[in-house]
Amino acid sequence: MKKKVILMLITTILALSVVMITGCKKEDESKADQPAKQELITLKWPTIWVGEDSKAPMIAALVDEFNAMNEGRYKVEIEANPDYDAYRNKLNSQIAAGVVPDLFVLNPDPTSLSFYEGDLLMDFAEELSGSWGDNFVSGAISGATIDGALKSIPYEVGYTPVWYNMDIFKAAGIPDIPKTYDEFFDACEKIKAAGFIPTSQMTGGTNAWTSMLWFSHIAASIGGPDVWEKDITDPVFVQAAEILRMMYIDGNTSKDAVGGDAGVSGGHFLAGRSAMFINGPWYIGRVKNDAPDVFKATKIGPAPAVEGGFEGAQIGFPQSNLAAGATDDPAKKEAVIAFMKWMTLPENVKKISMDAGSMFAVKFGVDDGEDVDLVQGQFMNAVNDSAFVNTHFQANFATDVVAEFGQALARMALGKATAEEFIQQIADKID
Amino acid sequence: MHKTRSLNRTSPVDIMARTGKWIYLIFFLILTILPLIWLIISSFKTNYEFETQPFALPVVWQIQNYIKAFQMANLGRLFLNSVIVAICTTAFNTLVASMAAFAISRENFRFKNGLLTIILSGVLIPIIALMVPYFKIVSGLGLYDTLPGLIITYSAINIPISVFLIHGFMSTIPKELEEAAIIDGCSFTQRYTRIVLPLSIPGLVTSGTFVFIYCWNEFTYAMLLTSSEASRTLQLGIRFFRSQFVTDYTSMLAAIVITMVPTIFVYIFMHNRIISGMTSGAVKG
Repeated sequence: MKKKVILMLITTILALSVVMITGCKKEDESKADQPAKQELITLKWPTIWVGEDSKAPMIAALVDEFNAMNEGRYKVEIEANPDYDAYRNKLNSQIAAGVVPDLFVLNPDPTSLSFYEGDLLMDFAEELSGSWGDNFVSGAISGATIDGALKSIPYEVGYTPVWYNMDIFKAAGIPDIPKTYDEFFDACEKIKAAGFIPTSQMTGGTNAWTSMLWFSHIAASIGGPDVWEKDITDPVFVQAAEILRMMYIDGNTSKDAVGGDAGVSGGHFLAGRSAMFINGPWYIGRVKNDAPDVFKATKIGPAPAVEGGFEGAQIGFPQSNLAAGATDDPAKKEAVIAFMKWMTLPENVKKISMDAGSMFAVKFGVDDGEDVDLVQGQFMNAVNDSAFVNTHFQANFATDVVAEFGQALARMALGKATAEEFIQQIADKID
Repeated sequence: MHKTRSLNRTSPVDIMARTGKWIYLIFFLILTILPLIWLIISSFKTNYEFETQPFALPVVWQIQNYIKAFQMANLGRLFLNSVIVAICTTAFNTLVASMAAFAISRENFRFKNGLLTIILSGVLIPIIALMVPYFKIVSGLGLYDTLPGLIITYSAINIPISVFLIHGFMSTIPKELEEAAIIDGCSFTQRYTRIVLPLSIPGLVTSGTFVFIYCWNEFTYAMLLTSSEASRTLQLGIRFFRSQFVTDYTSMLAAIVITMVPTIFVYIFMHNRIISGMTSGAVKG
């Protein structure tokens, strides 16, 4: 009996495997036959703008509209990849294997920009040198061009000013947001005395996001617009690290900041427990929906300036570019360009921005009568009022160095490393 | 008499030892169970409650987190895919690994130990290091974004650990049984199918359980080798609630609770066999 069962099991498995593999190949073959029979060009777009992403509904609507307008000619199919880190890992592996998706979202950091080397990505330099390029904000196109090649189109940009809870400031008897770090630490004392947490911080996640942004603001204020051209061991960064260290001690942040992730850091601000927090405009929806009282009390403003340093620094960065796999097929290239033009059309970008609160490298106008979210308006003002815009730490270093930032910060926050040692740990990783 | 002797033995030292034992056991029970309870309770909260009061009970128990998990991430379809992938992989892997383990543990040939070492060294290679070659192989075979692509990859990845477990078990089966079978006219294949394989079932169950749970929880390769819902597994569904900057934590936790159920049942029903398989493999017969 046992023999029969085992034999049947083996036979079933083998039969199942043959059926599945051959079935699958036949399906692929039938798919491969399709382009010869039809003129429809299907572009696969693995994207992160799905699921819970605030841009997801409008992106889906624009893709549907594009498909309807180009019915029978082009079709874009969204492949949902909501997990950002996993998406990047997948792209890295795919591109390393020489298989590039038809369309994809490229995070313009040093690791991803290395994909510019070689001929796997489509070059848009020629197309964007014409009137299409005029849709973009000044410097966006040149910023995405490397050695004359424009292999990713600048799209979403991020700005990360400071979110101040003015109800807490009032409760602590502080009339306005701090303009210098002396005022900042005075404010911290008053906020603590009033029973609140001065700042939201985090060392966890893949990049210690909130604290990495604080560090970038401080470094920009000390070192100015060209701060990232300096070596990481420059005294500017040690001084910035020392100010960041002070934000972690004496109760200037929550105890769970060490090891905490974005949920922890954002959670304290949402709960009305912390007075100062840094994040981008994509967080507007979360605060507005989950913590309406905090939303009403929120003021968006610049980070304090270091005495003797540069005033009016703002942190902004190209967040997501649009890219495509290179192709020898002129019809497919035409389809890709048609879609890219559609997605970067000012009125379409405006729809996404107004719906999701995101900011873009594409110019569009907002009429006086149009309903711009109050906090989104403050974001725009914070950017317009800034003296200069710097990128953040993450945009200037490879992924493993960025990961090391959080590790080193946790050591420093726990008192196991000085500011110099914190910087040295990062420098060692860069080496 | 017996009762009196037993009472005499309960000295203060015994009581302290027993109390210490129970404190020790209860401490680790709490340490193990508490995160699970926290996970289940959190899956019934709103995101605001989760982020602002992570250790409090929900004000209103949010059943809709579970409904959302099923609807938004299409967990039903992904659940079915996970079941197919996990069962087929377990069957494939067990078949191949048991054949390899049989040859290595029961036959004598040159470089036998070297071959075993090479196979087992696969355990030491981080799977992330193999992403590019596996992607090339699977896409080259035309199996990208298909369930067979995942099944073959998972089967291959788990061969080292399965061979290790099954080989350890098969090595304990007395040689005399096979010798008697040879005298009765059993061929090489019959010795495998009629003698060694049936006697190795506890080892196969142990190995199969490990493989099943690996397949159920695997994310990296599922993400790499699939692109459409038709071939995605449950672990990708869980990530559907994360985006670049915002996460719907409570729906994600609800999805995690749903995905945990089958693995818990596998352990409940198989734990005796898993333990016996592992311990039998550790003892020479």
